[in-house]
Amino acid sequence: MIGLVMRKELLELRRSPVLLLSMFSLPATVVAVPLALLAWVVRAAPEEALAFVQDVYGVSGQPPAAGLATALARTWLPMFLVLPIFLPILLAAQSIGGERERRTLEPLLATPVRTLDIILGKSFAALLPAVGITWLAAAAFCAGVDAVAGAMLLPDSAWLFGTLLLSPLLALFGNAAAVAVSSRVLDPRAAQNLAATTVLPLLGLLVVQLAGRIALGPRFYFGLAAGVAIADVALIFVAVRLFDRERLLTNWR
Amino acid sequence: MAAIDARALSKSFGGRPACREVSFTVERGEVFGLLGPNGAGKTTMLRMLAGLYAPDSGSAEVAGCLVGPGRPGGPELRARVGLLTEAPGFYDRLTARENLTFFARLQGAREVERRCSALLERFGLDLHAARPFAELSRGMKQKLAIARALVHEPEVVFLDEPTVGLDPEATREVRSVIAALAAEHATIVLCTHHLDEVERLCSRAAFIAGRLVAVHEIRQEGLLRVELAAPFAPDGVLQGLFRNVRTQGSALFIEPRAEVPEIVAALVAAGARILSVTPHQDPLEDAWLALLAEARLR
Repeated sequence: MIGLVMRKELLELRRSPVLLLSMFSLPATVVAVPLALLAWVVRAAPEEALAFVQDVYGVSGQPPAAGLATALARTWLPMFLVLPIFLPILLAAQSIGGERERRTLEPLLATPVRTLDIILGKSFAALLPAVGITWLAAAAFCAGVDAVAGAMLLPDSAWLFGTLLLSPLLALFGNAAAVAVSSRVLDPRAAQNLAATTVLPLLGLLVVQLAGRIALGPRFYFGLAAGVAIADVALIFVAVRLFDRERLLTNWR
Repeated sequence: MAAIDARALSKSFGGRPACREVSFTVERGEVFGLLGPNGAGKTTMLRMLAGLYAPDSGSAEVAGCLVGPGRPGGPELRARVGLLTEAPGFYDRLTARENLTFFARLQGAREVERRCSALLERFGLDLHAARPFAELSRGMKQKLAIARALVHEPEVVFLDEPTVGLDPEATREVRSVIAALAAEHATIVLCTHHLDEVERLCSRAAFIAGRLVAVHEIRQEGLLRVELAAPFAPDGVLQGLFRNVRTQGSALFIEPRAEVPEIVAALVAAGARILSVTPHQDPLEDAWLALLAEARLR
C-alpha cells in the first residue's frame, strides 16, 4: 500500500505543473549565484584579495581559479544537503493537514490502509522529486565549478557520498518530520514553519564552513549518514505513534 | 446473525457526551435509518461502527468484527464495510476513474478495473470518468462517493447524509441509487435528518438524540383513511378485515387485512356514510416529534 499512496501523491504533483516548476527556483539560485560570484571574483578581484581568501580557506599554492573553486566545492556541499529537505517541505507539511482541509482524510482513514503505509507513502512521494531535482542541481554545480577552475575538481568522494547517499537520508528525515508534525499540527502553515526548523543545524554547518572555521571531510559525512539513518528509523517509529486517527478526525487545532 | 449488533455504545469528546448507551441491531439485507437532529451523535455512531472511532464503553459486532473500548474495528472491519462520508472527499486533480481506482485498491477490491468500470457505468458516470473530480457536478460527486462505498462489495454500507446539499434533481438520483441497492438486499445504515428519506427507503429507524430514544418500525404499506359524514364506531363491523383500527374525529385509520371494496362494503352495510377513502401513511414526523419532546422532558 506504500506504493499506492506514493503513486497517488506523485500523480497529484504531476497534475500541478506550477508547483513542480516552483521547486526548481531555489536549486537554480543555489547553483547560479555562487558560480556567477566565483567567475566574477576570479576575474575582477585584486591578487591580494584572492591570496587572502585562499589563505582563509587553506587552499594557497594553487592558481586562483582552482583555489577558489576548491574552497567553494568544500563549503557549498551542505547547501545540497539542505535542498532535498527544504524543497518538499511544503508538500510534506501539507500531507495530513491538507488531506483534512480537502476533506479527503476521513475516506482515506476509512480504508484498511495502515498508518505506516500513509507515513512512508507520503514521505517518499515528497522526497523523490526533491532528491531528483537536487541531483540535477548538484550535477550542474559540479560542471560549473569544473568549468571555472579549468580542471576536474568535482565530484569528489565527499560530494558523491553527500549527494547520492546522505542527501536522500536527510531528505527522508526532514520529510518524515514534516509528515509527523503535519499529523499533530493540523494547520498546514504552522506545520510548514515547524518542519522547516529541521534544516537549521545544516544551515549552521554551512555558515561555520563558509566562515572558514572548519573543513568537513568524508569521515564527518560518513558519521553523519550513519546517525541520520538511525534517526530516520526512529523518527518513522515516532511518526506512526503520534498518528492518532481519532484525534485527526475530531480535533480542529 | 445480525449484520450489526450495537450494545450500549457510548462515546464522548473532551468530557462532552456524543452518544450514550446506544443499542440496536440491523439485520442482513435491511435498510436501517439513523435519525436525529444535528449534533445528535449520528456521525459519531457511524464512525464507531465503521471502525474509525473506538467507543468509550459498550461494544458492537459489525460484519463479524468486534468493536470495543480501545479497540476500533481495525483494517479487517474497514475492509468489510463501505462508508459514504458526509463530504465526497476525493482528490480534485485526479479523474473520477483514478479516484475510484485508488480507493478500490486501498480497499483491496478484486478485479479493480472491471469493478470500477461497472460502477461508473451503473451510476451514469462512465462518460465523465476521464474528467478531473473538481469538474464534476455535486450530484456526480456524490454518486462517485457512493460507488466508492460499494467498490469492494462490502457486507455493510454506511451512508452519512447522502443527499445533504444536493439540488432536487441530484437528490432524486441519489435516492433512486439507494432504493436500487435496497432492492438488491444490501445491508444499509442510512444516517440522515430527512424524515421523508427514511420513510421512503428504510424498514426501521433508530431515533437518536445523544442516546437512543426509540427504534421505530416504518410501515411501508400505509393505512387507509376513511372520512365519514359523522363519527362512527366500527366495533364488530370490520371483524377479520383489519389488523388495527383507530378513530380520530369523523375519520377512521384502518390497517387493512382485506381488499378496500370489502372494507367499504362492510362499513356501508353497517350504516356508515363514507365521504372518501384515501391511502394514508402514518407520518414519521409525528412519531419523531413526539419522541423528541418526550426525550427532552426526561
